[in-house]
Amino acid sequence: MSAKIAVLGLVIEEPSPAHRLTAKLRQRLSSAEFVDSNVYAALTRLEREGLVRPHEESTYEATEEGVRHFEQWLLSSSAAPPLRDELHMKIALCQPRNVPRLIELIHGQELVCLGRVQELKRSFERVRAPEAHRWSGLVMVLVRDAELAAWESRLTWLQGVRESLEHMSEEFQSASARREG
Amino acid sequence: MAPLLSLHGVGKSYLRGSHRLRVLHDVSLEVCRGEVVAVWGRRGAGKTTLLKIAARLEAPDYGSVRFDGTDLATVRESEHARLMLQEIGWVRRSGPRSDLRMIDYVALPCLARHGRRRAGTLAAEALERVGMGACAVQRWESLSDGERSLAAIAHGIVRAPKLLLVDDPTANLDAIERERTTELLRSLAEEQGIAILMTVPDMPAVMRAHHIASLGGGRLSTAPAPASERGNVIALPSREQFA
Repeated sequence: MSAKIAVLGLVIEEPSPAHRLTAKLRQRLSSAEFVDSNVYAALTRLEREGLVRPHEESTYEATEEGVRHFEQWLLSSSAAPPLRDELHMKIALCQPRNVPRLIELIHGQELVCLGRVQELKRSFERVRAPEAHRWSGLVMVLVRDAELAAWESRLTWLQGVRESLEHMSEEFQSASARREG
Repeated sequence: MAPLLSLHGVGKSYLRGSHRLRVLHDVSLEVCRGEVVAVWGRRGAGKTTLLKIAARLEAPDYGSVRFDGTDLATVRESEHARLMLQEIGWVRRSGPRSDLRMIDYVALPCLARHGRRRAGTLAAEALERVGMGACAVQRWESLSDGERSLAAIAHGIVRAPKLLLVDDPTANLDAIERERTTELLRSLAEEQGIAILMTVPDMPAVMRAHHIASLGGGRLSTAPAPASERGNVIALPSREQFA
């Protein structure tokens, strides 16, 4: 997903200056890891394409065409993201002698996942539980949960791989000890 | 602040056929008063075993468990029974086996100590505190999943415990019920100074905790804390571990 469509969505929600859009983007879609320059580049493109226009006091607002474009994107079907992960490749290509190091690498990745969950937790710490009828509160929780589901799924997978590798490594070591004994 | 509960180097394994299943390996954690520590793990990761060991309902193969400065392994059975009745609350998903009204179910842990009338008053207060005052005369079977979670928490806090062990409090709850339940646990910890150790199988349920950890393959891993919180968190991983 490009920053362009996310920035357009935020401008439609509320006309805002660029610096506020960067802060909002970081809070709402932290796992996408957009940087500030993405927002400025997105605004330039959106303005050039007639989807946003400058409003008062250096804020941007969406044009009618911008709103139409965003709704068209919102209602179109989404493609499944490609699964191309460095750790997948390392596991696919490793040799038994690499297993102890791989186990530590995987545990390191588990800690990275937990660190990301911790960061999300911190951004939501002061947000109270949403009321059932508050749309914005519910949406915020659902978007956060989507990020959490990704980290949870990765953590589950990493733990399963580590568990299997540790088991295999123990079996391998006891077999070696039996042979030597 | 000295931790109320601390597990140090705890290990536990079970024999499954010819294979020894390692559930906990060298697990250390601390829970202080007024804070919630959430342990996330897959089903079968050993979360309930961890809670049972924390309450000395199961003995670890090795390692030690200290509650309020005392090594639980050295505590007599009668003292342990007193701790479980007065100082350590346990929140389970399963409700009462009999067809009790909620107020009677919640009053159960206090009956022996306070008598029927006082236990009833305390139960009504606990139900009120968790927002379930209106359900006092209802039966478990008639409650929704969200209401059952809250009733189970009331049952856990009615004895005014120092430590609350909570096993999967958000099972079957939707996003809003889950947020409210976990927010309630956090406010109970902060307002009443209860130390809460909670285990959960779904990551969103850890969002209201003060500290989070994951349990899998026998290892307990803890999330790195920011510099401002260091020294106030369970078993921080080293820089090498995090690299």
